[in-house]
Amino acid sequence: MFRIFELFLRLSGFFVFLLLEILCFILIVRYNHQQRVIFENSTNLFSAWLQRKTQSVADYMHLAEVNDSLVNENANLVFKLANTPKYAHGNIDSILWSKPDSNYQVIPARVISNSVNRFHNYILLDKGSRHGVTPHAAVITAHGVVGIVRRVAPSSSVAMSVLHLQTRISARVRNKGYFGWLNWTGKDTRSFSLNDIPKDALVALGDTVETSGYSAIFPEGIMLGTIEKIKLEPGSNYYSLDVKYSSDLSRLAAAYIVKDLQQAEKLELLDQVISDDE
Amino acid sequence: MNNVVLANIFRFLGLILLQGLVLKNIGEGWEEFPYLFVIIYPLAIILLPLRTPRVLTILLGFVAGLLIDGFYSSPGLHASAAVFMAFCRPYVLKALEPRNGYNVNYSPTAARWGFGWFMRYSAMMLALYLFFYFSVDAFTFVYLGSILLKTLVSLITSMIFTLIYQVIFNPVD
Repeated sequence: MFRIFELFLRLSGFFVFLLLEILCFILIVRYNHQQRVIFENSTNLFSAWLQRKTQSVADYMHLAEVNDSLVNENANLVFKLANTPKYAHGNIDSILWSKPDSNYQVIPARVISNSVNRFHNYILLDKGSRHGVTPHAAVITAHGVVGIVRRVAPSSSVAMSVLHLQTRISARVRNKGYFGWLNWTGKDTRSFSLNDIPKDALVALGDTVETSGYSAIFPEGIMLGTIEKIKLEPGSNYYSLDVKYSSDLSRLAAAYIVKDLQQAEKLELLDQVISDDE
Repeated sequence: MNNVVLANIFRFLGLILLQGLVLKNIGEGWEEFPYLFVIIYPLAIILLPLRTPRVLTILLGFVAGLLIDGFYSSPGLHASAAVFMAFCRPYVLKALEPRNGYNVNYSPTAARWGFGWFMRYSAMMLALYLFFYFSVDAFTFVYLGSILLKTLVSLITSMIFTLIYQVIFNPVD
């Protein structure tokens, strides 16, 4: 007992030193701007590194699943290729395909981090401006729309997930042409609602909802979900439709970033018209 | 005995005021050459009597550093360097121990242990202080070159001021 006490007494200088240095460190990081920025950046780098590592393990776990969905998508593409009259050049990192009316660049990306349990969810992708990603590009998978790119760094980008209370996707009912706005209800990852469909529209349960292509973000015709419930508020001229979302965002591993190459042009044109009106 | 304590208290307060009110302004506003800092308040810790308990030395270092941080408005920076230097004091003293050992009743001054010994001792302590301070100031070792340059330049100027202090006061205890 005395021995331990003696040891402690001998090391007391070291303990006091350690304690005061920790105190100083807290003071420095809290009250000095430059040091705080460096500290936060370093911790961010560390957590990003950690996330990447855990993600690489998770990727390996999901390999079979991803493989399946890639096979499906391949089949889908082969089918599309056979049915498309005009098909243009591609390279390893991106495919450029031309439709008669617009051009889209497709950039395959991996999901580094993703959240589904908040009201404002974001997805971190491993492709950035170096790979041609720009803000407002669409993020889709084989199953449907996933999000919209918001911020872009040289080699990564952050997309606003469709699971975000401010999501508003211009959507239409496939083959029927009625269009409205699709919102996330915030309840669970697959319950969305489609509003602004006029009440004289002929919609049925199970009808497919797809992107309308009116927003200059998403190409038209991408699957969004199916109509699960049709509601009509008394006195309202518009349906409120419950939509079961087609892609399950809680199991996201890979995605495609789709960039509308004429987006800037379209938006500029719209802006001009709006400013003409004012 | 009481004289020694009083002398150290006056030195402590005097050096901190000198550092915070006068020496702080040297090198300020000289943006083309941001390597010049004159820091001599650590002498208050360096010159503490040899028999000062280690914990007290470290605590005094912390207090002195915090007071200086008040003048420099950099909470924690000087304090961490002063704590580090105070922590290292026994090792520096050990490294510079004379052949026949120390008399623990004395203070580590030029009057007691010789001018050359004191200059080596204070230079080592100040070097430790300045290197730690500039490292924490940069908060990364990416700029190690600049940290070392700052340490060297500031060590030379600070030692000049230490010499002046020594010549003027020549403290015994």
